[in-house]
Amino acid sequence: MTRSLVDIAYVRAGDKGDSVSVGVLAKSPEYYAQVIASVTPKTVAALYGDWIQGKIEVFPMPNIDGCLVLMHDALGGSATNTLRFDQTAKSLGTAILRLSAIAP
Amino acid sequence: MPNTLKNTSVRLGCGAGFWGDAFDPALELAERGNLDFLCFDFLAELTMSLLQRVRAKDPGQGYVPDMVNWFADLAAPAKMSGTTLVCNGGGVNPRAGAEALAKALQAKGIAGRKIGVVAGDDVLGRLQAFRDAGVKLTHMRTGEDGFDRIKSKVVSANVYLGSDGIIEALEGGSEIVVTGRVTDSALFIGPAMYRLGWGFDQPDRIASAITVGHILECAAGCTGGMSSRFDQMPRMGEVGFPIAEISGDGTATISKLPGSGGHVDQFTVKEHLVYEIGDPRSYFTPDGVADFTTPHIEETGADVVRVTGMRGKARPDSLKLLIGYSDGWIGEGLLMFPWPNAHARARKAEETLRERFKRLGLLSSAISFNYIGLNMLHGPAAPMPASDNLNEVGLRVAVKTASRDEAEKVRRACSQLWIMGPGGTSFGAPMKPRPTIALWPTLVPRDLVSHSVEYITS
Repeated sequence: MTRSLVDIAYVRAGDKGDSVSVGVLAKSPEYYAQVIASVTPKTVAALYGDWIQGKIEVFPMPNIDGCLVLMHDALGGSATNTLRFDQTAKSLGTAILRLSAIAP
Repeated sequence: MPNTLKNTSVRLGCGAGFWGDAFDPALELAERGNLDFLCFDFLAELTMSLLQRVRAKDPGQGYVPDMVNWFADLAAPAKMSGTTLVCNGGGVNPRAGAEALAKALQAKGIAGRKIGVVAGDDVLGRLQAFRDAGVKLTHMRTGEDGFDRIKSKVVSANVYLGSDGIIEALEGGSEIVVTGRVTDSALFIGPAMYRLGWGFDQPDRIASAITVGHILECAAGCTGGMSSRFDQMPRMGEVGFPIAEISGDGTATISKLPGSGGHVDQFTVKEHLVYEIGDPRSYFTPDGVADFTTPHIEETGADVVRVTGMRGKARPDSLKLLIGYSDGWIGEGLLMFPWPNAHARARKAEETLRERFKRLGLLSSAISFNYIGLNMLHGPAAPMPASDNLNEVGLRVAVKTASRDEAEKVRRACSQLWIMGPGGTSFGAPMKPRPTIALWPTLVPRDLVSHSVEYITS
């Protein structure tokens, strides 16, 4: 059975100006490689569709068995003027856990 | 007085992660934390613009009112514990905040308390001077130079100051420090640098202080709040706020008071390390640049986490300046629909609202409809259900307009669905139009900005 990221990772998300910042942490070091293989600019772009207008960057953080996903122009403005209910993208980030866990 | 006593370690606590945070965990830290410094972050991007509006109406306001009551109540236990209080609750009017605090202390019979006031971040009146000095105020992200486009709508302009002013105020013998817009982490970096005798020429040490400051600055954010493992966090209603002990060698431990709710473990700390950051290799602050891919984080006891190995680079030559400007209004509405056919009812209501907007001649620059319970939070990432057998579904509409009157039409149209809408529609209280602020982040050379420090004694 195919696993999702929700089985192997935790998420903490927030805003940074008009960008959305999502930290993804492997629940255990043995899952780190899968997290890195699964969370890519391409998979993240396909997931969120037109809610992300800008560039997507993924920065590996091997020191904490995780990565940081930075999605630019992704909040429909900034927390102070977006039409989104989730003004600071705290909810938006957990959608990353919907991604399939891909073997490295 | 210069700090001649270079301690081998410093003990810091976080007393607030935002304006509106709980007071009881801060009081517990003041009483039982055995802290050198208790530091409070009250400011956020939106807060600054709100406070600026308050000050525009009344020049004696513009600080965070909670700060005055809180610090008046904390002053006595903090003094007993030998703890210095530091906060950015001065908002856009730190001097007025400190004066109000001095008065509140006097009213409690607390005299002779020296309050250091750190200002210089508010450059609302200096934007033209910056431009005359050749600073283009280019938008940091878009690269847009067209500051003239927003010039007439600017409501706030604050430089994110670093630790210099706080250090100076502590060297001046302050028992309480009240600042304007310093970075959240500076509230921790300044006291750490002061007590440990660190200088800006020690980038790895500064990186340690930045990292610890970032971990602590949202209070319960690293002790179980916002946790992915929320179901494993005990008694969050009695959560303990975090304590950090930083050693002279740059290593640190994160903990909380024994018996308090929540947890401090590797994941509560790691989750907060990645919170609201950009490129983790370069976490920019006015005090230095920390590399968040360098810290090693390990549990060394129950509710104790050790953080070591932080590396960084010297502080940048430019400071971030955040300009807020009026950006029109948002009108919004929220309606709920019951089984049976809840989703179909919500869709019909959207159709009706769109018809009403047209009839009312609504002028808008953007309209957003979301289905609560289905796609409001995850948007396109949320798969829609195959069948309409849901207990309830909501409809949220939000509309961007230039004027209050236009935003008011959204409220009116939503109210009209009381009878025009599908059977079973429920509304709650109507939502008022709200004004919005847009942000224009830019950089200014460090040498064009200087902090100020003055003292007020209760």
